[in-house]
Amino acid sequence: MTDRSRQRVAAIIAAIAASLLLLFLAVPTIALVARGGAAGARGLFADAELRSAIALTVITATASTIIAVLLGTPLAWWLTRRTFRGRSIVDAILDLPLLIPHPVAGIALLLVLSRGSPLGAALLAVGVRIVSTPLGIIAAMLFVSAPLYVSAAREAIARVDPRYEGVARTLGDTEWRALRRVTLPLAGRGLLAGAVVSWARASSEFGAIVILAYQPRVASVLSYDRFTSYGLREALPVAAALLLVAIVPLVVLRALGARDRSRIAGERSARA
Amino acid sequence: MTITLRDVTLRQGTFLLDRASLDVAAGAYGVVLGAAGSGKTTLLETVAGIRAPDGGTVHLGGADVTTVAPERRGVAMVYQQSLLFPHLDVSRNVAYGAKSSAAVDDAVAWTGIERLLSRFVTTLSGGEQQLVALARALSSEPRVLLLDEPFAALDPPRRAAMRRMIRALQRERGITVLHVTHDVTEAALLADSLAVLDAGRVLQHGAATALFARPASARVAELLGAENVLAGSATMRDGMVELRTGALVIHALPPDGEALAGEVHAVIGADEITLSREPKESSARNAFTARVVAISGAGALVRVELDVSGTPLVAVVTAGAARELALATGSAVHAAFKATAVRIC
Repeated sequence: MTDRSRQRVAAIIAAIAASLLLLFLAVPTIALVARGGAAGARGLFADAELRSAIALTVITATASTIIAVLLGTPLAWWLTRRTFRGRSIVDAILDLPLLIPHPVAGIALLLVLSRGSPLGAALLAVGVRIVSTPLGIIAAMLFVSAPLYVSAAREAIARVDPRYEGVARTLGDTEWRALRRVTLPLAGRGLLAGAVVSWARASSEFGAIVILAYQPRVASVLSYDRFTSYGLREALPVAAALLLVAIVPLVVLRALGARDRSRIAGERSARA
Repeated sequence: MTITLRDVTLRQGTFLLDRASLDVAAGAYGVVLGAAGSGKTTLLETVAGIRAPDGGTVHLGGADVTTVAPERRGVAMVYQQSLLFPHLDVSRNVAYGAKSSAAVDDAVAWTGIERLLSRFVTTLSGGEQQLVALARALSSEPRVLLLDEPFAALDPPRRAAMRRMIRALQRERGITVLHVTHDVTEAALLADSLAVLDAGRVLQHGAATALFARPASARVAELLGAENVLAGSATMRDGMVELRTGALVIHALPPDGEALAGEVHAVIGADEITLSREPKESSARNAFTARVVAISGAGALVRVELDVSGTPLVAVVTAGAARELALATGSAVHAAFKATAVRIC
């Protein structure tokens, strides 16, 4: 075999391997839309239980994302701009929720938030119930999605030259003001992308939520519930409707990525 | 406002800014000269307060500001890469740290950037960016202006124009300037006081004229651009220094009129060496026959590398003189310099 024909064979093998994986990833979702898409779209209007489950999912995922952004952004800044002892411990704390099985995360949360625990009991004493409430859903979502936001935010802040902050400081800004006026706007797109990923992760969570708050049912729990109670036929519209909801962050992320690329290209051509 | 650094020490990974000291008088133009990686930017950021030193003190206007936040130091900094805020247009960049709109107008007028105000910073040329960065610094009405290689990205005409602009600013407004650069010419043109920084250490600091006239060491002389730095052993004879370096004996005046002996360095400016076809009757105490090793330079000045009995010397002559001498590689010439042209350090 000549070098050229050997290269051609290698290219064909790579193309087949790539196509197989892409088909494996695409076919189930396409089948789901094909088989349940219409019923799912109808269900969004007709099925009150599905509607309220999706509304609950959107509201709790949004709340969880807002908390992740408010608490995670300062943490990401701190981890990016400061060196300190015990940094590896902080890193491990942030990595762990992404590595453990989600029902395990749910069990761990239940352990500290249920009425049997000191924290759960204290919260209950002031009238705050976590387990089997929207707060429980938010807690489960936050646990599994906040590390994703912090990781994206760290990357976004690290891409901002710290000397911008230095310049802002010499121009009269306090550290906090420089962060607000310079670093956050410059990292804004990356932070927003991180928030969208975090929202998508939160809204698709099942394992931790089902342990901590089976009721009220979010969309993922409802789809599981329909499947175990009534079988595939009944679960299909719910699953398809959830898929349609998941397309929203996908589109937003693509749009953010495209704008980022065009902006970088614009800067390059301006420099040239 | 005076700038005083005393024994400023800062470790940064493997780099160490080692007990750096320097002084710039109020309203004067201070220059720190050093090669890339010598710690110039770190030194400047320490004055700005962006980096906190591990040891030593920074005084501005007599007050100890070592632990004072950058925003309360009354300094402004211009980096080589301008670092304009990319999310703001030019006018917002200039107004960023301004205390009044009058200060903005003044800074814009000084730098002549009126026509750029509505532009986005990513559409500016390198020279325009530096002007905007300077305007942004000026509009915050600093008492100390810190410049980190501000002209490095500019072409020669713009560089000269901006040099004049900053010099005029410093003289007319009484702003104290601390400017770091690797460019000896720039340092020579601008500096009232000069510090030579090498591998994190200030080798010498003081009045610029004093440093150029009397470099404290061979390394300082080298960094100040002296072409001929020769090591040798000195002895005194008839009140003059006789320095033996290789096969050469060089005559020099003793520094400060004091006798000296032992291992020293002689520094001879390349422009102090005169060349001629025939041995000249002159007052020059040092006259040798040399062989031309290389000739370079396309401008008004020609650099001539010589071999004098095994010792390399560099002379600089005008292009006209080079033609008159019919200099060619391998040809023999007579090289001479006065004893007063030799600086011993």
